[in-house]
Amino acid sequence: MTTHRFVVNPVLCTGCRTCELACSFTHSVNGKPGKSRIYPLDGGFKDLWVPVVCLQCEEAACAKACLVDAITRNPETGAMDLDEDRCVRCMACVAACPFGCSLHDSHHNLVVKCDLCGGDPACAHFCPTQALSYKPIEIKKLKSA
Amino acid sequence: MVTLTINGKLVQAEEGEMLLAVIERQNIDIPSTCNHKAVEPYGACRLCTVEITHPKWPGWKKHVTSCLYPVEEGLVVSTHAPEVIELRKTLLDLMLARSPKAKLVQDMAAEYGVTRTSYEEVPDGNDCILCGLCVRVCDQMGFHAISAVGRGHGKEIAPPLDEPPPDCVGCLACAQICPTNFIKYTDAGNKRTIWGKEFELIACERTGQPTITKEFAEYLSKHRDIPEEYFKRNDLTHRRELAATMGKISQWQREEEE
Repeated sequence: MTTHRFVVNPVLCTGCRTCELACSFTHSVNGKPGKSRIYPLDGGFKDLWVPVVCLQCEEAACAKACLVDAITRNPETGAMDLDEDRCVRCMACVAACPFGCSLHDSHHNLVVKCDLCGGDPACAHFCPTQALSYKPIEIKKLKSA
Repeated sequence: MVTLTINGKLVQAEEGEMLLAVIERQNIDIPSTCNHKAVEPYGACRLCTVEITHPKWPGWKKHVTSCLYPVEEGLVVSTHAPEVIELRKTLLDLMLARSPKAKLVQDMAAEYGVTRTSYEEVPDGNDCILCGLCVRVCDQMGFHAISAVGRGHGKEIAPPLDEPPPDCVGCLACAQICPTNFIKYTDAGNKRTIWGKEFELIACERTGQPTITKEFAEYLSKHRDIPEEYFKRNDLTHRRELAATMGKISQWQREEEE
């Protein structure tokens, strides 16, 4: 099966944070830049940066923690989408995500997470070194146990 | 699919959908305070009242709260009929008598040309418009910590017996959903107070930053099957850990290439 996946290759990342800017401006609220959903963080070695972004988990803790079912899988993009109109900002998903990729945007008082920009992530377009890319990849089915 | 007419325009809607959702999708601005996607419609504020008629009911029309009225084939809806506007004005006038200082009520009333109430002001009025969103969201989330008490002027939202509610977990959903910001809470360091109940917030192991209350974390791990250790660190620490793990893998990859 071939599907589009968001591919992160930290070896190529220079930590320029262009992805952060692209994300912030793409997810602006009423003309004001929003909180970035992607964070290039120190990888712990010399010249090694890791762009940390939502992994769109198969069994997502954010969706399990949401008591009002605001986080659901988008069948088209495969992303776990957060419905802002449904969200009650209880911060359950922010606390529950083991990768810290459900975030609270304190400026706009919103809970935000990566939505893959509806199937065409802006950060991947702007990454100058191809550390981020969104491309079709072959998914091998895991052997059934 | 159902076809109906809204303000003279033919629109399509899903079967079973409520009128208000269809009206909002058409970008028609009608006031509504007690409606939220997270909870079932309730019809408390009645501001979303519209006029409906049907070719099958010649000469008849009725006023219904659009948040509670499911769409029907052939329905003819008018969102700004003169009678509906009059009705909304009266409602806003009454709301101003109870909550004269609430910004939301003032703004909505001003839009309909009501700047001050023509009724006698409620002597101990406050910003609570009794929309019931806080109570409903608390029930929806499964806590049932607060409810409406009393009737008439004395009606208010309160925990049982006005004591710190035993079922409250301090998630703040009620305060966040309140359209007039009437529900007050305090967050000071690792202490949170709401409805007179004190909570201790979990501090991140690494940074010491407060996250959610211990009671809420316990509830989530018990009922939602989320491992307790997820709640020991805050989101930034989690991200740093993920970066460190991915960093190690990338370092091996880099060393292998060299």
